[in-house]
Amino acid sequence: MATQVLSGGALRGDAPGGINPVGIMPGFVTRDGVTVLEREPAVRNPEPSRRYYFYMMAPAIITLAAISLYPFFWLIWMSLHDVDVMAGDKWIGLKNFERLFTRDTKFSNGWLLLIQYSALCLFFEVVLGVLIAVLLNRSRWEKVLVTVFLMPMMMAPAIAGLVWYYLYNGTFGWYHWFMQSVGLLGETSILGSPSTAMIGLVLVDIWQWTPLIVLITLAGLKRVPRDQLEANMVDGAGEIRNFFQVVLPNLYPFLLIGILLRFMDNFRFIDSVLILTGGGPADATNILPVYLFDVSFQYFKLGRGAAIALTLLVVTIILGMFLVKIFDSPAARNVGRTEG
Amino acid sequence: MASKDVVEYASPARRIANVAVVIFLAVYLLWTVLPIFVMFVSSLKDLLEAFRIPAVGDWSGIALFFDFQPTFKHYANLFVNLNFGVYFFNSVAAALGSAVVSVTLGATCAYALSRTEFRGKKDLFFWIISTRMAPVVAVMVPLYAIFRSLELVGSLWGLILAYTTFNLPFAIWILKGFFDNVPYAIEEAQMVDGATRLQAFRSILPLVAPGIGAFLVLCVLFAWNDFLFASIIGSGGAKTLPVATKELVQPQNIQWGSIMAAGVVTTLPMMFLGLLIRRYLVTGLTMGAVRE
Repeated sequence: MATQVLSGGALRGDAPGGINPVGIMPGFVTRDGVTVLEREPAVRNPEPSRRYYFYMMAPAIITLAAISLYPFFWLIWMSLHDVDVMAGDKWIGLKNFERLFTRDTKFSNGWLLLIQYSALCLFFEVVLGVLIAVLLNRSRWEKVLVTVFLMPMMMAPAIAGLVWYYLYNGTFGWYHWFMQSVGLLGETSILGSPSTAMIGLVLVDIWQWTPLIVLITLAGLKRVPRDQLEANMVDGAGEIRNFFQVVLPNLYPFLLIGILLRFMDNFRFIDSVLILTGGGPADATNILPVYLFDVSFQYFKLGRGAAIALTLLVVTIILGMFLVKIFDSPAARNVGRTEG
Repeated sequence: MASKDVVEYASPARRIANVAVVIFLAVYLLWTVLPIFVMFVSSLKDLLEAFRIPAVGDWSGIALFFDFQPTFKHYANLFVNLNFGVYFFNSVAAALGSAVVSVTLGATCAYALSRTEFRGKKDLFFWIISTRMAPVVAVMVPLYAIFRSLELVGSLWGLILAYTTFNLPFAIWILKGFFDNVPYAIEEAQMVDGATRLQAFRSILPLVAPGIGAFLVLCVLFAWNDFLFASIIGSGGAKTLPVATKELVQPQNIQWGSIMAAGVVTTLPMMFLGLLIRRYLVTGLTMGAVRE
C-alpha cells in the first residue's frame, strides 16, 4: 500500500487506517525522508481507485455483453445462414439480404408502412399533446387531469390492443357503433378494410401515448423564461404571438426528445398492432417489425428474419445516435435542469 | 375569484374561448377514460349483456350500456378455472426478478460510471443506451436461437434474462444521472473520516434510495407490460398475464367478460404503481432527458 502511494502520488485511496506516511497535502510524496510535490494533485480519480471502479462496473457490463453483444454477433452470423432447426444451418452468404433488397416487396412495403405509421402517430400526438399541455399549464385542474391522462400509459400495450379490439368490433363494438352512427363507417369495422385499418392503429397509439407528449411539453412550459415572455408582451405581443415567438422556440428541445423517443418506440413495440390486425388486412398494416415477427416466429425463417432485424437495428442505432447527440447538447442540458 | 385584487374583464370572445377550452378538455378526458371505463364495466357484465348494442343512430340506446346486473363471475372464472393465479405469479416473478437484477447491477455500475473518467467512456455509454433502444423483435431473433439451445425458452429464468436486456441498460443510464447529482464531496468527507470506498458508497445510498426505488418500480412496469418476449421466450412454461389474456381470444368463442376481467387484473396494479412513482415518471419515461 505504502509503495503505491509513493509511486502514484495519490493519497485519497489510502487514507483509512492511518498507514499513509504523508497524508497532509495531496500530491506531496515523501522519499527518503524528503517531502516533495510529485505532480498535480489528483482531482477526482486517483489511479488506485480506478481499478476499484472497474470492479464495480464489471458485473453489469459482463451481463449486458452476454445478453446483448453476444446475441448481436449471433444475429450477424444468422443473417448469413439459412437457419433451419431440423436440417441444420447452411452458409448462404448474402443471399438473405439479396432477396430482401431485390425481390421482397413486403420488406420495402414494411418500411414504407412503418414510416407512414410513425409519421401519422407522431404528427397527431405532437399537435394534440402540445395543445393540451398549453391549455392545462397553470390551470386549476392541471394536477388532477394530468394524473388521469397518465392512465393509458400504465396499461400493457397488449391489453390496450385487446380493449380497442373489442371497441372496434363490427357487431358489438361501441366505437364501431359510434362511428357508424355519425356516418364515418359502413358495415365493415375500421380494422376490417385495408383503407382504414392503419387509421384504427394510429388512433390506439394516439390514445395511449399523447399523454407522454403532454407530460414532456408541460415540463418544458414550466421552464420558459418569464423575462422573455414579459419582454415580448411589453413589445405588444398577444398570447398567440407570444406562443409562436417565445414559447415554441423554448419547447423545441423538449419536443425533439419526445418525437425521437416516440419514433423509436414505434419501432420497438408492436404489441397492439399484433393483436389488432397482425399486419392485415391484405398487408395494409404489415409494418416492418410485424413482418419481421411473422418471418421469424410464424414461418421460423430465422436467417431471413435476422437479415431484416439487422436492417431495423442499423436504422434504430442511427436514430439513437441523434438522440444521444441531443441529450448531450447544451439545449438538452437546459431541459434536464431542475426548476430554479 | 373574490379573493383576487384585480378584477379581470373578460371580453365575449375571451369567454367563448374559455368555454371552447373546457369543452375540448372534457372531450379529451372522455376519450382517455372511456376505453378504461368500458374495460371495467364489461368485466362485470354477463356474456350476452356485453354483446348488446343499440341500432345504428339510436343515441338514446347508450343507456343500454349501463343496463346490466353486475357479476364477479369472470374474475372467479379466471382464478378458479383458467389458472390465472399461476400467470399472475409468473408475471410478478419475471418482472420483479429482472427489476431487482437490473437495479442491483445497474446501481453499482452507474455509480462507478458517474465517479470515474476513462477513454472510450462515451462509446461504452452509447453501447449501453443503444441496447435499450433496440427493437424488441430484432433482439428476440438471436435471443430465441440462443435460449433454445440453452433450454431457457419457456422458463422464468429465460424471461428474467430477456427482460434484463432492456431493464439493465435503462437502470444504468438513468441511475448514472442520479449519482451525478450527488456531490463527490460527501464521499470524500466520509473517507477522510476513515471510511473505506465501499462504506462511502453505502453512505450515499440513502440519498438516492427514493430514486432507486422509483426506477425499480418502473423496471417492474416495463417488464410486466411486455407481450412480445413473453409470447415467444416465455411460451410454454412461463406464461404471463398479457399472453394469457391474449390467449382467451379464440376464433370460435371469444370470452369477452374474462378478457376484460383479465385486463383489469393486469392493469390495476400498474396504475397503482404509476401513481406511486408519479414524481419520477417523466424522468423515467424520457430516459432521464426531461425532469419535472
